[in-house]
Amino acid sequence: MIKKLLSSDFLKIKRKGFWFLTFLGPFGVVALQMVNYGVRKDYLLQQSDNDWDYYLLNVSTFTPLALVLGIVILTSFMASLENETNAWKQLISLPVSKMSVYLSKFTVLAFLLLISSFILMLFTLAYGVFLDLGEEISYFELFKFSFYPYFAGLPILALQLWIATVSQNQGIPITIGILGVIFTYSAFILPDWMIWKWPSLINEWNEPIINVLLGIGVGCLLYIVGMFDFTRRDVK
Amino acid sequence: MLSILQAEWYKLRKSKILFIIFVGPLIGLFLGLTSNLSIDVAINEWYLSLFSMNLTYALLFLPLITGILASIICRYEHQAGGWKQLLALPVTRGKVFIAKYVILMLIVLAIQLLYLGAVYVVGMIKGITDPFPLEIVWKSIFGGWVATFPLVALQLWMSILFKSFAAPFTVNVIFTLPSILAVNSERFGPYYPWAQPFSMMYIGGNTDDIFFVPWDQLLTVVGGSFVLFFLGGYLYFQRKSV
Repeated sequence: MIKKLLSSDFLKIKRKGFWFLTFLGPFGVVALQMVNYGVRKDYLLQQSDNDWDYYLLNVSTFTPLALVLGIVILTSFMASLENETNAWKQLISLPVSKMSVYLSKFTVLAFLLLISSFILMLFTLAYGVFLDLGEEISYFELFKFSFYPYFAGLPILALQLWIATVSQNQGIPITIGILGVIFTYSAFILPDWMIWKWPSLINEWNEPIINVLLGIGVGCLLYIVGMFDFTRRDVK
Repeated sequence: MLSILQAEWYKLRKSKILFIIFVGPLIGLFLGLTSNLSIDVAINEWYLSLFSMNLTYALLFLPLITGILASIICRYEHQAGGWKQLLALPVTRGKVFIAKYVILMLIVLAIQLLYLGAVYVVGMIKGITDPFPLEIVWKSIFGGWVATFPLVALQLWMSILFKSFAAPFTVNVIFTLPSILAVNSERFGPYYPWAQPFSMMYIGGNTDDIFFVPWDQLLTVVGGSFVLFFLGGYLYFQRKSV
């Protein structure tokens, strides 16, 4: 059942701009560094001894913002696919459980974002090589800055998908999303328990892996809460 | 015209608009109360508070929220043939467009004024005793408002064009995020319309003029992009098939 739902969801997002957005997010993050390094490369190279690490750090300042914005846009987009044509009713009246409908939506979005993270890694590496930042490429750091924010951001994905699917007015999830973006942007002053801080990989122990584990754990929790709320509600 | 304005406002009132309007001052409170910027130089403490609050507010929140407002004001029309019903009334398309735009600008003004309230509350909670720099604050609040004129025009255009909320929001995000870099650049910052809310709310600017940016920059960048986006939206709406 879930396999068929997934293939129908992938069919629905075809030619709607989902794949374009998946590509645009990571491209935008690296493009901002292209501008940054394009305008003042010499100045930036003087800033540290290890050019690769400094470059990765620069890239990673925009990754959490782009990730959270991407989550807000994709979840709202996913919900409006069904909202706009009143298709929830038709979807739910098929012989499928509401839980698997929700699971399928979540899986598709999680998959798209994972692809995004992968593309981010490729773009980051490609532009870094183009900049000629030295021989020693720290592949682990590259991996960390590309994929850790994704896992740390899973709770936000679960939360936004929940709000987006149960809201009739998509203004609400997007407004809450903007709040989240502001929180992410001011991550360094947030307390550690706030989920919007996690994609920035900052915590008081200076161990990014904690954010990843927390992200996966709390992400699952919020996913389950959202799913049960979704199944309890009437379909309008 | 007045009745169109009334109708637009009535539709909005039922769209959870109050929640969205109050997010502005809430963000202001959050930013103000969490900031702990301190420098040794003796300056009016309100400046410090304003400085840290305006940064995130004007750079990210203000440009992004205009998009949401514009999408909400077109929400009823996109549902179940609302455009058809609205335009079948004895109204002209031009007037509908202008009415929607006027209502949007009034709401942005309301958000700015509530933000001013938030600035004041933050100062009270922090116990700032310095005199309230009224002139500077008004400049900042009104400047930020004026800077959103072109942004709202573009977002209204995009919201009429696209049915979903996500698409105009994406356009907004694509233009707003680079302003984080643009404001750091002496060369590009002044010419980037999405960086203008920040420039015009930035209290460190030149205080001789009415606003914090020179008149020629205001007229060319804000005025020019406003004319471009407003006419674009206006003409598109005239020809849109409903």
